[in-house]
Amino acid sequence: MYEFDFETIRASIPVLISGIKITLLVSVVSTAIALLAGIFTAFFRSPDYFIRRYFSVFYVEITRNTPFLVQLYIYYKGLPNIGLNLNPVICGIIALGLYTGAFISEIIRSGINSIHKEQYDAARSLGLSRLQTFRHIIFPQAIRIIIPPLGSQIINLIKNSSLVSFIAVSDVFYVIYKGALGNFRFIEFFITGAAVYMLLCGAVAIVFNFIEHKIKISGRMAAL
Amino acid sequence: MHWYDIIENFDFLMNGLALTLQVALIAITGSLILGVLLGVVRNSKLAPFNWIATAYIEIIRSIPLIFFIVFVHFGLLPYLFGESSSVFLSSCVALIIFTTAYMAEITRAGLKSVEKGYVDAARSLGLSYFQRLRYIVLPIALSRMTPAFVSQSISLIKDTSLASIIGLVELTRSGEIIYERTYHELEILIFIALIYFLICSGLSFVSKKLEFGKFNCEQLNLYTQAENG
Repeated sequence: MYEFDFETIRASIPVLISGIKITLLVSVVSTAIALLAGIFTAFFRSPDYFIRRYFSVFYVEITRNTPFLVQLYIYYKGLPNIGLNLNPVICGIIALGLYTGAFISEIIRSGINSIHKEQYDAARSLGLSRLQTFRHIIFPQAIRIIIPPLGSQIINLIKNSSLVSFIAVSDVFYVIYKGALGNFRFIEFFITGAAVYMLLCGAVAIVFNFIEHKIKISGRMAAL
Repeated sequence: MHWYDIIENFDFLMNGLALTLQVALIAITGSLILGVLLGVVRNSKLAPFNWIATAYIEIIRSIPLIFFIVFVHFGLLPYLFGESSSVFLSSCVALIIFTTAYMAEITRAGLKSVEKGYVDAARSLGLSYFQRLRYIVLPIALSRMTPAFVSQSISLIKDTSLASIIGLVELTRSGEIIYERTYHELEILIFIALIYFLICSGLSFVSKKLEFGKFNCEQLNLYTQAENG
């Protein structure tokens, strides 16, 4: 039977905590970037904007169909070729934010599209302005559809943040990987690292379940 | 720009691409089979087994893939077999372990989307549980799930790039090997991104054109978009 030795884990708690801080920093800042990018892209994809719409489609399709790792390498290793040197942490944050932003924009777009067009027409014919229609009719319904997939996208963002260790940012995975290689204690370090990510993802899931429960309208079928 | 690097190393990159596709194909097949089985168990009422399936799905889905790749290669397989495993085997096993959970969750959503009327009708005709599953519920569910399966496969193809951390010379790693020598990173990386883009967007285009699962429900569409990270 395998003999567990958690002494090495206890010794590496200080590094682990600094790793958690980096992971949290990267996750929180890139969540903000992703939300902004997602909202703007979804907004620009409405049929009113021609050039911006094609730009949005281009951005979303390119980002969704290439691996995050390759995008990260383009920001970190590719951009210095054209004279743009970025700090690895900033690189990771930008890459992660723009990557997740593409997915979030699709979620927002499909949430808004799932509201029937008749509701928009009815609101306009009642004399509401476009802004009022969005604020009082479209948004309250769309947000209830958007929230659950948005939560799982932010959980994905936290999990994807482990890839910034590929460009030498010392986040949780980096610390765990170095610790495991240094001590040859793979199982113990794996359990510890997995527990850290499960706690982070679990916390986000709880927050989003709470929001979902708070804004739920009884009688209306909740989206998945 | 130094696009000549790509032409010079074209065969090497294509070898990498072949390995990427091999790993992806094995992992898609394996995780599809295991995922459907696990999803059926998860949706069943077999007391201890559906708890185990739920626990497996929830735990796997909250851990990053990179953990599985590293720890299957350095921890699990060497411990099981007593000798270090090949990077190819480790990558396949890790991807299957990881994607099975996602495929199972898609299967569960698909099974839940089957209207209760079908099940009641089948039951009133005297079909047993397995007959209902085999002839009524699964065929409907599978056809509705196909778009979600395709987008999960696309995300698996993208995920194979992570196997480069344990040294599998797939597309991303072979590009890395080239630019570590030439220092012209941008051109190679753009070329690699283009290949991934063509494969992934081609796959999603084909699946949209074939219109799998015509009576596809809104919920599954949203699910697909949420999980395809």
